[in-house]
Amino acid sequence: MTDNDYQPVPLAPDSHKDSETEKYHTFVNLALGLAAITGIELVLVYLPFNKALIFTVLITLSLFKFVAVIAWFMHLIYDKLILTLAFGTGLSIATGTFIALGFLTSRGNVDMEAITGF
Amino acid sequence: MHTAEATHEDSHDNLIIDNKKLLMWVFLGSDCMFFGTLISTHLIYRKLYPESFDPTALFSLELTSFSTFILLMSSFLMALAVSAMHKGELKSFRNNVIGVVFFGLIFLGCQVYEFAHFVHEGLTLSTNTFGSTFYMMTGTHGVHVAIGVFWLVCMYFYSHTGKMNAHESAVDVEVAGLYWHFVDIVWIVIFTVVYLIEFI
Repeated sequence: MTDNDYQPVPLAPDSHKDSETEKYHTFVNLALGLAAITGIELVLVYLPFNKALIFTVLITLSLFKFVAVIAWFMHLIYDKLILTLAFGTGLSIATGTFIALGFLTSRGNVDMEAITGF
Repeated sequence: MHTAEATHEDSHDNLIIDNKKLLMWVFLGSDCMFFGTLISTHLIYRKLYPESFDPTALFSLELTSFSTFILLMSSFLMALAVSAMHKGELKSFRNNVIGVVFFGLIFLGCQVYEFAHFVHEGLTLSTNTFGSTFYMMTGTHGVHVAIGVFWLVCMYFYSHTGKMNAHESAVDVEVAGLYWHFVDIVWIVIFTVVYLIEFI
């Protein structure tokens, strides 16, 4: 058969809507989850627990929210890998810069006299 | 026939990426570096001058948590607006966009109130390193939110011109949605590392 004979099979008209309806339920659950996590974060800082533990939990919850919004609200898990790579490159450089600066700018490595303009 | 050719079509389909969407993701990646630098600067100065300023007396965690909640819910509505556009439901799209704009304006109102309160208490851009880095970082985020609100308002009015249709405009709405969600994730980071951690 030639290319001219090919007739693409049309998608079922409701299949797209079904997938959007499925996403709707995911979005509702995610929104409730994110709101609940924000509430938990607020309560956590007032609890008399070990500071390192609370710090770790807060960072973990924040990371979860960050990844969840990117993955579901921003559709990254439904989209092509190259989009993840495009965003991931910038995010990796930002994270790397943050970590590097954190190590480079300890009090011992900075001339405090030179930058105390304020 | 159709199996091999359909597979070929599918694989061809998988290689197609909308230019607008790809460009937006690349822009958001670069914006990550921008905000990464602003947040890093703030945290580094907090580390270098821990005794210079105690923000816990100024910060209102309840207000900031409320702002965070508002922004998260606006992200939810934005996801629904994109979904509505994909389904071709223009009315639902408009309703959700109005909701996003409303929540965005509430967030901006909270930020203006917070800034006014801080300035009244004596913390300005030039008071100390904390003031400089804090206002630069949160102010830049606020400008991003304002741009997002303006973009969505334009999109809302454009939807009334009759030029918007589900097939051609879905990507435009999705790109605006990506920008709005990005503003949300930046705030998620700022909320934790700038506000919450000060109270531990």
